[in-house]
Amino acid sequence: MTSSPPPETSATPQATVVIERTYSAPVEDLWALWTTKDGFESWWGPVGFRVEVQTLEAREGGVLAYAMIADSPQMIAAMKSMGQPTSTSIKGSYGEFVPNQRLRLVQVIDFVAGTEPYDSVIDVQFLKAGDKARMVIALQPHLDPHWTKMSIDGFTSQLTKLEARFAQD
Amino acid sequence: MSHVSNFEILADPSRRRIVEALRAGEQAVNDIVKQAGIHQSGVSRHLGVLQRSGFVSVRPDGQRRLYALRPEPFRELEAWLDSYRNLWEARLDRFDAALARRTSPHINKEETDQ
Repeated sequence: MTSSPPPETSATPQATVVIERTYSAPVEDLWALWTTKDGFESWWGPVGFRVEVQTLEAREGGVLAYAMIADSPQMIAAMKSMGQPTSTSIKGSYGEFVPNQRLRLVQVIDFVAGTEPYDSVIDVQFLKAGDKARMVIALQPHLDPHWTKMSIDGFTSQLTKLEARFAQD
Repeated sequence: MSHVSNFEILADPSRRRIVEALRAGEQAVNDIVKQAGIHQSGVSRHLGVLQRSGFVSVRPDGQRRLYALRPEPFRELEAWLDSYRNLWEARLDRFDAALARRTSPHINKEETDQ
């Protein structure tokens, strides 16, 4: 498998991070990892988390709902120190669903305190190339500040405590 | 945090047009107005925002004031995009492992022939 950077990345709010990988595997297997309960649970989630799928409707407009659960001792400790729950319910849907070709996953990020709910959109293309399969994922990082914000909150909450101790209004 | 506020600064389409205009190099307000197609009062206001947030520097040149892009906030954005990419690359390593298990469910032994 390979991964390659996009030809050009511009640092604007429309910036799209494109990640591309090629596999010696049937495209149907790639597709299954995004669109079946077992497949999705076998890899989804940031490092340090696992997911449990509650609803997965494999069709256009179909619901994808799951719990994202911190599963490493370090991540559990980190979430607790940030005052974040160790399990979060996430609801989304398949905005586009063309089997073995195209997929759009829209997730509603409505669980971040202090941030207006927003949609996180991930577009995935699947391409057959001989006996190989290519997967192209397009991400819009400006729409997905959640994880960054959380780690920032962890640091700033410590700083805020310090500042509060010394502040005199 | 800086990259979040940087994204917010650039979320404004008028400011993006100004940044685009300045990519060609240092320019006076009048030139920016022409290129960006925004009224002068708007350009001045947005230039103020861009200057305060570190995107743009200004220097006097006789009667004029010349504006130029500063590289630092763009480097910050690039660095953040890189870290975002790395985060996703790590997630996809799990995808790769899951795919390998699905495609070859009996491969559990370690590769030793390298």
